Amino acid sequence: MNVPDDLRYSPDHEWVRIESNRARVGITEYAQDALGDVVFVQVPSVGAAVTAGSSVGEVESTKSVSEVYAPLTGTVVEVNDELGDAPERLNDDPYGGGWICVIDPADPTELDRLLDADGYRELIGG
Amino acid sequence: MSGEMARRGRPRLPGSLAAVTTLATSPLDACHRRLGAKMVPFGGWTMPLAYPDGTLAEHRACRSGGVVFDVSHLGTVRVVGPQAEETLQSALANDLRRIAPGRAQYSLLLDPGDASVLDDVIVWWVAPQRFDVMPNASNTARVRAAIGGDDVTGQRAVLAVQGPRARSALARVWPAAATVARFTVAGLAWEGSDAVVAGTGYTGEDGVEIAVPATTAVSLWEALLETGLAPAGLGARDTLRLEAGLALHGHELGPGITPLQAGLGWAVGWDKPDFAGRAPLVAERRAGPKRRLRAVEVDGRRPPRAGHEVRHGGEVVGRVTSGNFSPTLGRGIALAFVPPELAVGDAVEVVLASGPVPGRLVEPPFVARAAA
Repeated sequence: MNVPDDLRYSPDHEWVRIESNRARVGITEYAQDALGDVVFVQVPSVGAAVTAGSSVGEVESTKSVSEVYAPLTGTVVEVNDELGDAPERLNDDPYGGGWICVIDPADPTELDRLLDADGYRELIGG
Repeated sequence: MSGEMARRGRPRLPGSLAAVTTLATSPLDACHRRLGAKMVPFGGWTMPLAYPDGTLAEHRACRSGGVVFDVSHLGTVRVVGPQAEETLQSALANDLRRIAPGRAQYSLLLDPGDASVLDDVIVWWVAPQRFDVMPNASNTARVRAAIGGDDVTGQRAVLAVQGPRARSALARVWPAAATVARFTVAGLAWEGSDAVVAGTGYTGEDGVEIAVPATTAVSLWEALLETGLAPAGLGARDTLRLEAGLALHGHELGPGITPLQAGLGWAVGWDKPDFAGRAPLVAERRAGPKRRLRAVEVDGRRPPRAGHEVRHGGEVVGRVTSGNFSPTLGRGIALAFVPPELAVGDAVEVVLASGPVPGRLVEPPFVARAAA
């Protein structure tokens, strides 16, 4: 299971990539594999204020519905609108074209509470 | 992530019970694991949900080519002898006089008290005094209690070969099986062992279902995959049956749901003098059913799900029983019970988690059979 070393992870299977001062967010390969084929993604609205641990979107696969939680508190500054027509990107490229949103973090120190790649690998048992 | 994800690792009741009672496994269990299938508990069995290509790819393979499902979790209850026909005639709702030995029939086991559909079955009339009745996995004991006979489920595997190119692929390894026509049943031999082949299925496509002894199941499975048929799991089986507008017990059929409500009056032998559930069913027909199962198409990709409300003219008029994304149509589809006065073409709204979306009642199947 691919767990890139340069990302941070939430225990709820979201990943965070720090780009300058902003945080790009998606779901992990482990998460997409467990969900199965994704057929719909509800992305948040640009400008939405989100709190770490609150819902920032929903992912529906052929078999289930799952909530995506904000890994950090802040403001949504960008969303991946292409998922509207191509939700399968969450399966095909979870760490790339399958990103969900970009958050401008209110408190950059929150990042330290997230797992590093080793910590996340341990969480998923691999 | 939450939902299924968040519950991973936390024991759930069915899971912990299953761990104690031990799930049944198919004779093809090792084949599925070798292919990398995701295995899930289903009706007391552990069966493949999807293979590595995924549910959507398997679904499309069935609509455009051919796939093979392991459906060994379906039960087989064998009823034999001079009384067999009469026993089934009185226990099940459909009328065997509409068919003959060598044919298959969809039928229903009804609650004698209120005509609820206790199970829907396929009856294979294999020989004049032999019937193989196939219930849903979790209802096998209930069906056997109603019709007698022997539960021979553990002795065989059942493979469903489905899709517009299913027969041509099957013909390359077993020509006789490929010629078994729709709703006919033939006793044939695979590698010298007795097999039964029927022109039945649950995908809306052409194809056959094959019961083979457990001992020769692996060789048939492997021969079928070598023809280029793709393995398909329970995930695709569910999206395919939904596009075909077919009912699933536990969703569209079950306690409180009669054949008339589910649109299965065609599977009832109204002319039979008696069968379990006949009296309450005839009374309901006279009064008119209070609700009717309808096919609903919604705008957008977001899938309706079981339990979502259906509205008409601003009022809640029913609920979704099954819903999903239709890979063929690229939109959400559902089955739902609504008042009988609502007709095909009527506008409705389905209240998804994110709010109401426009939809309309359509004539099932959602997707027509592919040309062979």
